[in-house]
Amino acid sequence: MIAEAHLGLSARGRPLHATGLLAEVERCVAAAGGWEGVDLVAVGLGPGSFTGLRVGIATAKGLTLSLGLPGRGVSTLEALGAGIGAAGATGERLAVLDGYRGEVFVALYDAEGTTIWEPAVMRPEVLAERLDQVATPPSVAGSGAIRFRDELDGAGGIHIPDDADPIHRVAARHICALAATGKGSEALEPIYLRPPDAERWRERDSFQRAD
Amino acid sequence: MLLAIETSCDDTCAAVLEGGRILSNVISSQAAAHAGFGGVVPEIAARHHLELAAPVVEAALGEAGVTLDDVDAVAVTAGPGLIGALLVGVSTAKAIAAARRLPLIPVDHLQGHVAANFLEPEPLEPPFLCLVASGGHTMLAAVRDHRGHEVLGRTLDDAAGEAFDKSARLLGFGYPGGPLIQQEAEGGDPEAFEMPVAMSRDPGLDFSFSGLKTALVYRCRELGPEGVAERRADLAASFQKAVVDQLVAKLRRALKKGRWDAVALGGGVAANGPLRAAVAELCERQGVRLKLVPLALCTDNAAMIGSAARWATPIPYPLYLDYDAFATGERPVDGPKTQGGLEFSARQQVRS
Ligand SMILES: [Zn+2]
Repeated sequence: MIAEAHLGLSARGRPLHATGLLAEVERCVAAAGGWEGVDLVAVGLGPGSFTGLRVGIATAKGLTLSLGLPGRGVSTLEALGAGIGAAGATGERLAVLDGYRGEVFVALYDAEGTTIWEPAVMRPEVLAERLDQVATPPSVAGSGAIRFRDELDGAGGIHIPDDADPIHRVAARHICALAATGKGSEALEPIYLRPPDAERWRERDSFQRAD
Repeated sequence: MLLAIETSCDDTCAAVLEGGRILSNVISSQAAAHAGFGGVVPEIAARHHLELAAPVVEAALGEAGVTLDDVDAVAVTAGPGLIGALLVGVSTAKAIAAARRLPLIPVDHLQGHVAANFLEPEPLEPPFLCLVASGGHTMLAAVRDHRGHEVLGRTLDDAAGEAFDKSARLLGFGYPGGPLIQQEAEGGDPEAFEMPVAMSRDPGLDFSFSGLKTALVYRCRELGPEGVAERRADLAASFQKAVVDQLVAKLRRALKKGRWDAVALGGGVAANGPLRAAVAELCERQGVRLKLVPLALCTDNAAMIGSAARWATPIPYPLYLDYDAFATGERPVDGPKTQGGLEFSARQQVRS
């Protein structure tokens, strides 16, 4: 790895995607000797915050268009799972991201990184119940595991590492590594896992009317 | 040569300009995606922009017969508008520009509507009075130079186009409401129902449309569903007349207050036939020139953003890397009244 940057939150606790991402991309590319040395632009497709995903993917699309480079999108949960593996996990890996609104984004991978549970959004209590059915406890990490430690720690025998453990962070190097091995897709389509709010209301309304 | 991108509401737009000449002006409308909701849904708009922005930029370059090698700067709508929608355009524009070390030109959306009049053929030279009415904004502006405009009046509640959309929903039409109400109104009597001409006693130049909508709600309640269905054309015609009357009354007052040689009409509501006719009549009576840009330049488009960018301040690479979009309402309403080229400051970058 040549360069990696990780942007946390601003002093006021707000994400820095819109203001910080492109500058970090430029610094990493400069460390690689400029765009001439770059063959592929990889980007995390989510799930995650809608705004964060759009800034990331729009930036990646703009770069590929401008530079004539290919792009590759990778599941953010898969990258988190790869990070759990890189940290030394030998068995199954459970990637749990904060899904906001009291829910988690979750996926389960085996030791080779093959998907066992497709990415899904659910309440932490539901995840805890599902974990009780699993034979051997997977290694777990992610912002959702931290956020819902009370609900998840110990469920099915899982152990959530300390909040400060870097294993919980999705690292851009894993997005790159997965893309370089051909994982993910050429189409840079975000993985939202949730319909837009208005569509949910419409579904609910028509459901109530049908009642 | 300029590449311009506009994504402030529900149209994904890109254009290529050579000076004031439009080489391409691509507009991908999302109206169908929002039709079932009777209005623009911000989250749905943002999702569509993300899908469409890159293909629309490529289409604009293709139609213009140029490549990014020919482009000297990238212009983009920075606000006001729907923040999620704006972010897609700004992120795309910043990335395209940064990868090629090109300058970025952030543009105020409303100055874009004003600058649609500067485009060839037959550009309108300032000074002129500009009425912009659309689903997102309604304003009367004094345009004294190419760089900005002074807001003389703005809506205190709904935008004119928003009033059309809401009323269309009340009367059982689809979305967007403007064209459907106009069509229905053709067979109706505009004097059938009395509608309040809001702000008529207000000496200022601000607009208000929410009272009109309320009046329509009462009329519909009095008539009942069957009565509404029966008198729909009359209701549409009466409502439309009240909107047009208010817009024209304020324009007349503004013409009286200042010495203007020309009037320009912009925004999606400028497509309304009776409004065009009423404004034309007013201008003729007052001996003032009327500039009507083609419809594709009235509704949101990127050519107008590129046009405004010609007189705005370009931000050189890499000072715009942290540039952020701003949503409707984020700018202090009582702030400086002259708007146009957006001031920028390279903020202290926060890293962790
Ligand atoms: Zn507009």
